[in-house]
Amino acid sequence: MKYWHIILIRAAILALVLGAWELAPRWGLVNPMLLPPLSDVLVTLQIQLARPTVQEAILITALEVIVAFIIAVPIGAAAGVAIAEFPYAGAIFKPMLFYVFSIPKSIFLPMFILIFGIGFQQKVAYAAFTTAFVVLMSATAAVESVKSDYILVARSFGATPLQILRRVYVPSMMPVLLETLRISMIFNFTGVMIAEMYASRTGIGHLISNWGENFQMPQLFAGVIMLSVVAIAFNETVRYLEARCSTWRT
Amino acid sequence: MQYVADLNAAKTTGAAIEIDRVSHVYAGPEGGVPALSNVSMKVGAGRFIVIVGPSGCGKTSLLMMMAGLRDHTEGRIDVHGAPMPKPDPERVGVIFQEASLFPWLTTFDNIEFPLSLRGMSKDERRRKSQPMLQLVGLTGFGERYPHELSGGMKQRVSIARGLVQDPPVLLMDEPFAALDEQTRMTMGHELLRIWETTNKTVVFITHSLTEAVYLADEVYVMSPRPGRMIDHIMVDLPRPRTYEMMATDTFGRMRDRIWQQIRKSH
Ligand SMILES: Nc1ncnc2c1ncn2[C@@H]1O[C@H](COP(=O)(O)OP(=O)(O)O)[C@@H](O)[C@H]1O
Ligand SMILES: [Mg+2]
Repeated sequence: MKYWHIILIRAAILALVLGAWELAPRWGLVNPMLLPPLSDVLVTLQIQLARPTVQEAILITALEVIVAFIIAVPIGAAAGVAIAEFPYAGAIFKPMLFYVFSIPKSIFLPMFILIFGIGFQQKVAYAAFTTAFVVLMSATAAVESVKSDYILVARSFGATPLQILRRVYVPSMMPVLLETLRISMIFNFTGVMIAEMYASRTGIGHLISNWGENFQMPQLFAGVIMLSVVAIAFNETVRYLEARCSTWRT
Repeated sequence: MQYVADLNAAKTTGAAIEIDRVSHVYAGPEGGVPALSNVSMKVGAGRFIVIVGPSGCGKTSLLMMMAGLRDHTEGRIDVHGAPMPKPDPERVGVIFQEASLFPWLTTFDNIEFPLSLRGMSKDERRRKSQPMLQLVGLTGFGERYPHELSGGMKQRVSIARGLVQDPPVLLMDEPFAALDEQTRMTMGHELLRIWETTNKTVVFITHSLTEAVYLADEVYVMSPRPGRMIDHIMVDLPRPRTYEMMATDTFGRMRDRIWQQIRKSH
């Protein structure tokens, strides 16, 4: 199968889906109240993006996502590396962390609301909490993915600990690290959205949940498109970087 | 400069490596695990030494100690007249199994890795790695990544990487174990050619008795754990070695002798 064939087929499927979205409500195949035509949604999206309330909500959500990410990644990474590097700590904490990791984090949301209220802090704390676990697990895997053979080789050539870190650990872990970044951002974004939709006075998640409750379908779908575009754009950027630095991966 | 002096020291005493009553005990959960017991050997400069012995008898441990990568509990190990408290790439090059190439580096960059650790400029590194690439028969493969090379080719790169700093001693721990039989024979032959052109002292560990006799000037046989030296065989087949020699009686007798020693020791 040639590459452009695949691209062509993908484009055709996308056109088909979008076309169906536009035409099915217009032809009365589905209820336009439930699924407004694509063009109506796009017009709504444009109008919504121009509203100061929506712009403010976007800004707040973006801030929450960024702050939570900045808190969660270093904490999770440090804990993950510590667990991988110190077998003693690993033996003690690993099972516990795996147990907690398997619990759906959303059941802790009411506790976060009790502790932090329903403002900015609660969104950040909850999202950082969910994200830190993902980062921790991936960071452990990243360190453990560095083969001890590589370290032995470097040592045999007289590499200093700093050289081993820079020349062996970092390049060896790079693909896993980028993957971690990508996955953890998905969890982070999800965390903020859930917290905003559950209890909040602002943010995109709050708007979407309101639009849904008020049966404002064009607005709801406009919100879905907006979020999807941002999430996909971030994901693809990191994936592009990943592909670029893992050409050597077999 | 320092190692030129050491090389001369080796010439006067005649020994590139001197191992004197070395014993080692690994710390284990239920007391110590004795791995080596009273091992002594003297390796003449420029000799090709092969060590054989059952799995787990301490061959890798001994090699790591010669490389300065692991401590030993008792005894003395001198390489070119001085102990190896830590790795010294100017004295000893270690060649590992094929899997030890860095997959994120090209052939050139893998070979030049030891040089780059010392901050050598790119041009100078390339000037040194180019002849190595030629020596191991991989001219034209410098820009390839390990996953684009066959098992035998990877092992050639690994040898080139071990040779690039021109250490007088090469240590090889079952370097061809992961290769298929044919490639393994070819690589052994290639290694002898390289050894004959570079005048290195080689200590080579293998499981294969045929490989041992084919390659070695001297074969040391180790007992099961804790490893001791139970036999020392001089292989006086002429050089250069040829595949035909494997069919001779002398070859067969020496292989049998090693096999008997290993069997008896169980
Ligand atoms: N780092 C270590 N800690 C504890 N025991 C070890 C360690 N390395 C090797 N051993 C033990 O020492 C013995 C010799 O190992 P090794 O030198 O790898 O043998 P060989 O290379 O001959 O198979 C084995 O029983 C092994 O389990
Ligand atoms: Mg071994």
